[in-house]
Amino acid sequence: MQVFKAYFKVMRGSAISLAISLSVFMGLAVLFSFIAPKTAISSFEPTKIPVAVINRDGDSELAQGLVDYLAGTGRLVSYPDDEEKLQDALFYRKVEYIAIIPPGFSDAFMSGEDCAIRKVIVPDSTSSFYVDMNIDKFLNTVRLHRLYSGEKEEAQLVAAAMADLAVDTPVTVRSFGRLPSSHGPYSYYYAYCAYALLAMIMTGVSSIMIAFNEKDLYMRNLCAPLPKRSMRLQLAAGHGVFALGCWGILVLGSFILHGKSLLSSGLTGLYALNTLAFAVVCAGIGFLVGSSVKSYGAQAGAMNVIALGMSFLGGVFVPQTVMSKSVLVVAKFLPSYWFIRANDAISELSRFTGDSLRPIYGSILIQLGFAIAIFSVTLLLSKERRVSYL
Amino acid sequence: MFMHVFGYRLKCLVRDKETVFWTLLFPLLLATFFYFAFGHLTVELEGFNPVKTVVVDNEAYRGNAAFRQVLESLSKEGKNQILELTLADENEAERLLEKGDVAGIITVCDEIGLTVKQSGINQSILKAILDQYTHTAETVTGIVAKNPGAVRQLIRDLENRKSHTEQVSFSDAVPDTMLAYFYALIAMACMYSAFWGLRNTIDVQADLSAQGARRSVAPTHKLQMVLADAVAALVVSFAEVLILLAYLAFVLGISFGNQLGYVLLTCLAGCIAGVSFGNFIGTVIRGSEAAKIGILIGASMIMSFLAGLMWVDVKDIIAGKAPVLSYINPAALISDAFYSLYVFDTHRRFVINIGMLCLISAVMCMASFMRLRRERYASI
Repeated sequence: MQVFKAYFKVMRGSAISLAISLSVFMGLAVLFSFIAPKTAISSFEPTKIPVAVINRDGDSELAQGLVDYLAGTGRLVSYPDDEEKLQDALFYRKVEYIAIIPPGFSDAFMSGEDCAIRKVIVPDSTSSFYVDMNIDKFLNTVRLHRLYSGEKEEAQLVAAAMADLAVDTPVTVRSFGRLPSSHGPYSYYYAYCAYALLAMIMTGVSSIMIAFNEKDLYMRNLCAPLPKRSMRLQLAAGHGVFALGCWGILVLGSFILHGKSLLSSGLTGLYALNTLAFAVVCAGIGFLVGSSVKSYGAQAGAMNVIALGMSFLGGVFVPQTVMSKSVLVVAKFLPSYWFIRANDAISELSRFTGDSLRPIYGSILIQLGFAIAIFSVTLLLSKERRVSYL
Repeated sequence: MFMHVFGYRLKCLVRDKETVFWTLLFPLLLATFFYFAFGHLTVELEGFNPVKTVVVDNEAYRGNAAFRQVLESLSKEGKNQILELTLADENEAERLLEKGDVAGIITVCDEIGLTVKQSGINQSILKAILDQYTHTAETVTGIVAKNPGAVRQLIRDLENRKSHTEQVSFSDAVPDTMLAYFYALIAMACMYSAFWGLRNTIDVQADLSAQGARRSVAPTHKLQMVLADAVAALVVSFAEVLILLAYLAFVLGISFGNQLGYVLLTCLAGCIAGVSFGNFIGTVIRGSEAAKIGILIGASMIMSFLAGLMWVDVKDIIAGKAPVLSYINPAALISDAFYSLYVFDTHRRFVINIGMLCLISAVMCMASFMRLRRERYASI
């Protein structure tokens, strides 16, 4: 048991960096659980695009009517008529559409002249298209009334248009089996777990390996009376217990943050299983890094590059659905890709049937395949080093 | 003598592989990861694509020629295509919706209805299209009731609906939020120049390194030595940031506007701030080298976080809620300088940023100078 005990003594040296990784992750997890979209819808809510309306046409009925209509179909955000502030707001998407009603617009519109609402938008965006539709719908309706109803009073025309536009198409929300609570906040939590697992398990396992592979210590251990097999087994047990510990803490964290909603979703087991498979992969990578690098400086470099690289390319920080196809093709060679794929499939699961579960188990098995491959390569490398030392 | 010290210092710094990794390769790798993860995010996430929809192919739909014509014209391939329409029976439509292949099911019965799985912008567009159909019918009925004579002209007019919006822009810049991540990344790289500044102060203080002890007894004037070191650090870090900038601009195609001179000025001011920050930590804060490095990494990460490196909105939130913080954070000033150059046609905000950056650098240099000058050791 000496090696097993020594394992955790050495681990104490990495305690601070492990604690930092864990607390940064937990901080982010709490932050994101607040900003993650609340789901579990039961009725349809039309998307409210944030719109800034700059009314330079004064208090005319038409301009006011348009502002009121946009306030109903979108979310009006009030901004002063200040270019710099408006540009800031559009760049950071505080507003997605800036509609400027030019001076004299109402008079021109009522007398049938060519005139238009000026818009500053994110070019070709869906949201601007949607707001365009609403503006055109309102103004076209007013135009039809003006041309053909015989009414000339601006206020009456606006009122008639508003009455026409009040009619609503009935929308049914169809839930298939489970309530459509897909991509609940815990789904984001488990996705981010990938980074935390990579950072923690890789740091821990590789630090131990660097310590035990230090040349003099390694050679002394080789001539110790303890059978090499037993030493390796104890080290492996240490890695296993450590990885399980990290995994356990993260799963526990998910209960603390999202206990009720997570348990009621019935998906806890699948999420835990998926993260466990990824924890094994992380241990493998840590094992490989620890056996290949010699200094703690190089370890820190390798750690950051691998953890950030796998997280960015695998879709941990940015959903796979919005990543470009060509990046995803390359990402298939990373275990984090399969972890996120399984994670996404779990959150979208609407019923527990063989057909819908198969891709999840498939992705988990692929991760385990990666783990086996990484362990094998490492063992091969360490055998070579053993020979080169002697 | 200055050139001699400068030349050797330059060699010393360039050969420090570990610091070269963190100050040059790490930002390059991070830029690559950023690019692959969200280089196209704005287009993918916000760009408009025709909405995939299924219509239940039943008697009522086939019988409603007007509605069918509207849907067909909206799904005509080309620039103005709004819908990608599929016809299917009820079961198949449900299956497509469950799989997420379509945003919604349009059903024509007594009235026109929409079935969706979730709320979202595509579903909202679908609803807006159906609403528009109903609204137009409502308008026509209302007008015809008042003025039956207008019916023919009215129907003809419906076909040439007009667009009442005209796109203008405040400047030529496309408001792509993702650019802010790359600007924050350059800010981080500039702040990492602090590693070089820190290394200089370690190598010049007799109580921190053997090299510092040796240099303290050398006959070279200390101010000359410190200046030569600082210039060497600045040259190395500026070269690194230029490599990063060239990589971002020419390999990844990140836009910085078209004011190259000002962009380079921002990089230089950023590197000066970074090196001064390293000098500041190395001299003013007492402690071991490891502790100083820890403080440096922690501080530059916090600054970069507040400048929007991890979550781009943070910079805007800070600017709105605690503007003082964005005026004293060098990383935020650097990324905001890039942002101002890209977005605005005027230089008011850019000048404020660079001015503040120079002021902060001057204060930090002054503090380190006060700490370093006339330092005497009882025993080294």
